[in-house]
Amino acid sequence: MTVLRLITRQLMLLFSVALVVFMLMKLSPVDPVDAYLGAAVSRVSPEQKAQIEAAWGLNRPVAEQFFVWAGQLIQGDLGFSTTYRMPVSEVIGQRIGASLALTGLAWLFSGLLGFLLGVIAAALAGGWMDRVIRVVCYVLAGTPAFWLAILAIMVVSVEWGWAPICCSGPIGVPDQQVTLGQRLEHLLLPLSVLTVLGVASIALHTRIKMIEVLQSDYVLLARAQGASLMDIILRHGIRNAALPALTVTMAASGEIFGGSILAEQVFAWPGLGRATVEAGLKGDVPLLLAIALLTTLIVSSMNLLADRLQHIIDPRTRRL
Amino acid sequence: MTLLKNTTAALLIALTVFSGAQAAPSSPSSQNLVLAIGGEPETGFDPLLGWGSYGNPLFQSTLLRRDAELNTLPGVATSWSLSEDRLTWTLSLRDDVQFSDGSLLTAKDVAFTFNQAKAAAGELDLQVMEKAEALNPTTVEIHLKKPWITFVNFFHTLGIVPADSYGPEYARHPIGSGPFQLVAWQEGQQLIVERNPYYYGEPAAFERITFLFTGEDAGLAAANAGAAQMVSVPAQLADAVPEGFYAKSVQTVDNRGLSMPFLPPQQLDGKKVGNAVTSDLAIRKAMNLWFDRELVVDVALNGHGTPGYGPADELPWSGETAIAHDPEAAMALLDEAGWLMTDAGVRVKDGIKAAFAINYPAGDATRQALAETAAELLRPLGIMATPVGGSWDSITRVMHSEPVVFGFGSHSAYQLYGIYASSLGGVGYSNPSYYANEKVDALFEQAQSAPDAEASYPLWAEAAQQYGFAGDNAWVWLVNLDHVYFIDECLDLGETQIESHGHGWPITANIVEWRWTCQ
Repeated sequence: MTVLRLITRQLMLLFSVALVVFMLMKLSPVDPVDAYLGAAVSRVSPEQKAQIEAAWGLNRPVAEQFFVWAGQLIQGDLGFSTTYRMPVSEVIGQRIGASLALTGLAWLFSGLLGFLLGVIAAALAGGWMDRVIRVVCYVLAGTPAFWLAILAIMVVSVEWGWAPICCSGPIGVPDQQVTLGQRLEHLLLPLSVLTVLGVASIALHTRIKMIEVLQSDYVLLARAQGASLMDIILRHGIRNAALPALTVTMAASGEIFGGSILAEQVFAWPGLGRATVEAGLKGDVPLLLAIALLTTLIVSSMNLLADRLQHIIDPRTRRL
Repeated sequence: MTLLKNTTAALLIALTVFSGAQAAPSSPSSQNLVLAIGGEPETGFDPLLGWGSYGNPLFQSTLLRRDAELNTLPGVATSWSLSEDRLTWTLSLRDDVQFSDGSLLTAKDVAFTFNQAKAAAGELDLQVMEKAEALNPTTVEIHLKKPWITFVNFFHTLGIVPADSYGPEYARHPIGSGPFQLVAWQEGQQLIVERNPYYYGEPAAFERITFLFTGEDAGLAAANAGAAQMVSVPAQLADAVPEGFYAKSVQTVDNRGLSMPFLPPQQLDGKKVGNAVTSDLAIRKAMNLWFDRELVVDVALNGHGTPGYGPADELPWSGETAIAHDPEAAMALLDEAGWLMTDAGVRVKDGIKAAFAINYPAGDATRQALAETAAELLRPLGIMATPVGGSWDSITRVMHSEPVVFGFGSHSAYQLYGIYASSLGGVGYSNPSYYANEKVDALFEQAQSAPDAEASYPLWAEAAQQYGFAGDNAWVWLVNLDHVYFIDECLDLGETQIESHGHGWPITANIVEWRWTCQ
């Protein structure tokens, strides 16, 4: 029963997102044909433009376009990307691996690192270490992803020469010949930037919760029994502070995905980020809809998962 | 405290690992070349969808070619002729051209390419063509619906695709008869190509070439790190040449100018058309006399450009010559025409102030600089111009009634037709100022009916007497941009063409002539 309800809710969410994104795209002033033609627009006659519109199905009524798209989707066909001139499923298939590797790892590491920093800051609350961590977190929270990415390239890659300038493999080497070591080398800088960006909110939330725990009665009792700070943090602190950290981390998956769209552009990382920007600028409705639905699915599943995990970690939150 | 120490240690380890991951810039050599000139085609390398429309599409070959002076040379076609009624082209083809898969290129492939390009929903507009047909393996006939000499541009730009293996996969796995073939295309990152062993022409000096598609910043960073041997740079950055590189400014017809709405204000087809100020010949003529174009180049383009006098400067069909910068004459002309200076510093005629907006696309720094420079320079003349930035969408709404900083530039005389032909008034971005002159239309008609492209040039050129400085002063052209490239000192590009609108691919037009001059 609950499973059925969950699925229905998920489907309704996807439908609403699809409808809103579709309407927004149709209301936007970007004319997909003009955007596709670019500079060639001055050479193309109205007849040729009509030919393109007909081929893309843009000459049909808006409502019909939406239902044709939805009908195809139900049959498992994501449609045809006008930007890349290939099926949307292929566009996404080619890029999703790189995106998942980057955003997935960045999400995982920023969760772990943020939690660690939050615990340290809380344990040493008021000390210089706490102050440094807090200031760094506030600065990071206000830092745009693309700016940090550009800065990292300028300093780390160009000035110091410690990391590659771009891409997911060395320049001039076809994909099949790239070794795992080279892959990791190229992943390191974008991954570091995205990880660092995701740390702030998790660290700050963990810190507050941990301070709360450390001031509680049961910690006072433990102290009175002679437990060390380390003991208290390990036995009482982490489990209690993990709940908000987990929720924030799961909710942050959307933010990290958003940040990766910009960072991928700067690092020329071959993921979905660039495809998303192109789809938006070129009015490529099928591609943008597919990416929006995918993101919705990931973020909403993450939140669902956070709820479930919460019940496992803290049995008190289980509904009986 | 142990926790703290551990963290520090972990950080230190991370740092050492990090610094160990040194970027190893591929050493430049005569075999491998890395170019960061941008211009990744999202739709892939299918000529029928517009790939290579600047000419010389890397992977494919064309029927005709152009040399550095834009003279016509044979390509796949060895001879070509146009019928008396100007409706049928007959082209004889070489019999030894092979695609990169080893199959032979025949008239069937050429006919297929042209017919398919017409049917394709892409940026190539072949609507004027009736059909193409192969008469025998080395002769192809192309039938037009009306005399249209600028159709020859497709002979220069449309890459021939193989009829047998062309399909939806083609754009990502192109097979052609050009100097290079595709090795790998990692979208959003790089394109790797190698010499096509079956190429019928002189083989290129480079075995392998990599094109980086990383954006201007990363491209420049790659050059600075020694990982790329050529990078295209915007004029604003053109003075920061990396060590071991030289800056090459390539002359272009990538022009920028102000459109001047030609008609008096009115409603036309539900659109607001015309402008009370710019429709006065005296205003347009005075502006053309007034602008010190050298100064505009220096101020707005940092010196990286040439003065612009028409939409096709230096091309055989231009017909326009430089106009002398003559501020006194401009002042006198306006006084005479009744545009009298007021205390406010703005000229007025019959209660109409000499004031208008100059629109530019807000994301384009070059056009913004031009709009602001022009507005500033016009003030002492008593014309009050206001630069207004907007999206192309908002510009489309005002472009028939207000001046806009437009940019064009192509290797085809059709460009003139698109800007000045009255039949195209207000069609898309063509002839946005609704310019109309019967004599110009008649000359264009004659030019399109010319027996061959060369014979049409004088007719196109003659039209400049009507629309240009000697006649209507229809537009106020300001500059031609230079396309700036930073090039490794060891790389010799030979003699390059005047480039069209578009920075990047056009420079590869003579890629087979490039040489590596170091050991």
